Amino acid sequence: MKKKRPHLADLAEELIVLGKKEGADEMEVSIIDGYEFRADIRFGEIENLLEAGPRYLSIRVIKDQKTAYVTSSDLSLETLQYLLKKSIQRAILANPDEFGGLPPLSLQKNDPECLKLHDPEILELPPEKKITLAKDTEKIALQDKRITNSHGANFETNEIKFILANSNGFLDEYEQTLCSLSLGLQAGETDSRVEDYWFSSKRHFHELDTAEEVALRAVERTVRQLNPRKIKTQKVPVVFESLMTSWLLGFLFSCVSGVSIYQKTSFLVDRLGKRIGNEKVTVFDDGLLPGKLGSKPFDSEGMPCQKTPVVERGILKNYLCNTYAARKLRLKSTGNAAGASVGPHNFYLQPGDHTPEEIIASVDKGLMLIRTLGHGLNPITGDISRGAFGMWIEKGEIAYPVSEITISGNLGNILNQIQMVGNDLNFYTPLAGPTIKIQELTVAGQ
Amino acid sequence: MNLDEMMKDKRIPQSLVFEDHFQLNKDDLYNVLSIALSKGGDFSEIFLEYKNYNLIHMEEDIIKETAESISLGLGIRVLSGEKTGYGYTNDLSFDKIKKAALTAASITASPSLKTVSSLISSKIEHDYYSLLIPPQTESLEKKISLVKRTYSAAQNSGEKIKKVKASLQDQIQYLTIVNSEGLMISDVRPMIRLSCVAIAEEREKREFGFFGSGGRVGMEYFSEELKPEEIGSKAAEEALHLLEAVEAPAGEMPVILAPGHSGVLIHEAVGHLLEADFNRKKTSIFWDKMGKRVGSPQINIYDDPTIPHFRGSYNIDDEGTIPQKTPLIEKGTVKGLLQDRLSAKLMKRPLTGHGRRQDYTHIPLPRMSNTYIDQGEYNPEEIIKSVERGFYAQKYQGGQVEDSGKFTFSVSSGYLVEEGKLTAPVKQATLIGSNIDILEKIEMVGSDLKFGLQTGTCGKEGQEAPVTDGCPTIKIAKMTVGGLK
Repeated sequence: MKKKRPHLADLAEELIVLGKKEGADEMEVSIIDGYEFRADIRFGEIENLLEAGPRYLSIRVIKDQKTAYVTSSDLSLETLQYLLKKSIQRAILANPDEFGGLPPLSLQKNDPECLKLHDPEILELPPEKKITLAKDTEKIALQDKRITNSHGANFETNEIKFILANSNGFLDEYEQTLCSLSLGLQAGETDSRVEDYWFSSKRHFHELDTAEEVALRAVERTVRQLNPRKIKTQKVPVVFESLMTSWLLGFLFSCVSGVSIYQKTSFLVDRLGKRIGNEKVTVFDDGLLPGKLGSKPFDSEGMPCQKTPVVERGILKNYLCNTYAARKLRLKSTGNAAGASVGPHNFYLQPGDHTPEEIIASVDKGLMLIRTLGHGLNPITGDISRGAFGMWIEKGEIAYPVSEITISGNLGNILNQIQMVGNDLNFYTPLAGPTIKIQELTVAGQ
Repeated sequence: MNLDEMMKDKRIPQSLVFEDHFQLNKDDLYNVLSIALSKGGDFSEIFLEYKNYNLIHMEEDIIKETAESISLGLGIRVLSGEKTGYGYTNDLSFDKIKKAALTAASITASPSLKTVSSLISSKIEHDYYSLLIPPQTESLEKKISLVKRTYSAAQNSGEKIKKVKASLQDQIQYLTIVNSEGLMISDVRPMIRLSCVAIAEEREKREFGFFGSGGRVGMEYFSEELKPEEIGSKAAEEALHLLEAVEAPAGEMPVILAPGHSGVLIHEAVGHLLEADFNRKKTSIFWDKMGKRVGSPQINIYDDPTIPHFRGSYNIDDEGTIPQKTPLIEKGTVKGLLQDRLSAKLMKRPLTGHGRRQDYTHIPLPRMSNTYIDQGEYNPEEIIKSVERGFYAQKYQGGQVEDSGKFTFSVSSGYLVEEGKLTAPVKQATLIGSNIDILEKIEMVGSDLKFGLQTGTCGKEGQEAPVTDGCPTIKIAKMTVGGLK
């Protein structure tokens, strides 16, 4: 199935030479060489089966401090040459930007082997085994009589090779694999249905949760929402389930991204070194955790990835930057370049000592947030307003599900109101957090 | 002739553009369709696509970046009963195409083999995007000037405007669809989007405003229909307006939907759940409500891909079907579904022309195009007057719905309604509810149908599609509003 394609790195180098010849001062070429497989199963039958090996190439051209970008899925030299010529003409018409340009060649290098990004087993899985895994997952869930419909189970694998070359002499590549198993379910009758899903997503096949683990978790998450009640609008303590903390961290990431900071689209502008949360808040971005989904040896412009403290005991320590944002802010790149912007690696809240059960037990009357729906995040103000689903907590115990509520608050206030942090940090996604308890949020209902 | 010149030359038939660039003639395509059916599928199809996208972005008073992107490839689909096999490639050697065809074919292993009908080129019946100046023929200098004018208009809207971003995106998409039933049809779809973000600051407060326009139009749109200055100043206006806004109220109350942008509510709360796949699978709350009354007889909801120049419009859908204006709800009764080939076949219903896909790497799905609730009889002022205390929802950041009918909308700006009048401007609120409940509670439908901005994109199963939504002023008797107060 998989073929070696040694000529892609040569193509990148060839384009750099061509670009320089056409008048570019600096050139960067990246190539993604991918392979994807996906099987969707519903009620025991294959619904969709997809397999493909796409490739994409991107170019950044800089001339007289002016930048132009190119991407193409057509990798023929004729097309690329033509795009390259046009990009230099476009660069000439842009304005000079003293902060633009490539990073200097870094001497430090991370060994991709140590990061354990690649699992050869995934590539050798026979399609039948992948299909069976998804079928089994759904079958186990459907044995539960409370489940009334299925959105289907899905198994997918990806292999991605990333090649990067630039005119400062950088040339490197790494390979990564991903596999994920997921299942979506509905419970209840047509007019009072509830739904949820569960998944497991890993770089290594042997780390993936079993069909049974994924199925039972999906069932449990779905049926617990049956027969929801409405509640009155009130201010109460709110427990964020682990995935909800991850969601909150996604919002925090967009507010500490160097791009949002220099663009002044974050409420955390000018707060470096200042207190933005209480003592319980410590957040890292770590690109070097072995085997984790957000790990990689170097970022999209060739800077080595690193572990960056973002918030330490409530003090904002670093904004996450690519080379451009770093120059604008007079900081150093943190190795977070992702395309032309900034992206997280493994961005996580440091876990605490409490079990999730202890956290729930500490709430006399409040809400455990289990899902949110919609948009409603404003990074400029930190305001949050989302549709939500939750479990009502009474006297330290889960009492009943609640729906048709919204939660409203402000990220700045939330970071100052974290009362307890759980010990359940699982890297389900690259943005990861344990269960947390917030002192008070507005929960709007009837 | 090189590709770029070829694309600009309107005299060259579209099918030849593909033949030249893909170096695939009718016989090759026929052979690929046959290979795709060689394992016993019911139907095979090739979707060939070439897309050229351009971006000009202005920020911090400079043209900061420009980008050009070419996307070229083909996707091969095989249907067998309810199963879909799909392979795609952007390497257009015959070997790779054949491999993609075999991948798609592997969905089935049936002894009964269907043959491919001979391919007959059909022509598009109506062109919903005839234009004078295709964006890709306009000079870069002229495009840059549009962006600069938009930017300056926002920046010159007052001292409180501290930051502006303006960008122009244009795209041309060439597609050809051939299938085993003998269909061979092509389309060329233009798209432009000129937009502006403005941030206003006063004391410690910072708010942002957005405006944009475009659609499947030519560059003449920005001299004839809408000046770029208007886009810039409207973005700034919104940001300045929000500086004065108070926190949203919280709780259950009457809600008035402002005309235009509120169409997103119809899109989310009703449109998605009348997409055929969710009803075929019985995951949508509407699956058992066909022909049944779900709301006031004032409610008429349509999806119409044939509105000239709209962002959601197309001459053919992404399966080559000629699209139709499709009634979803008429006089409060569920009337129809948005169909793609697979669902229409399995449900034994006629095609409506709503099979859409993000690009050649994706399987088509039933999707909305331009969705709106038609106008009713009430004067909008009369509607506002009827509310003692409530919330007027005006602009939205977006919304989301699940198949069970529960939905959420984020309102970025609105007003308080007090004693039948719009009073204080309000920011950042969330509207939640379930769709059947809301349809039942629609009390008044206004006579002022408007469409929202020509900038919207809808997401479904990881695929994006350009859409437009429309709505007149509407009163909903009671809805949960989530705010801080």
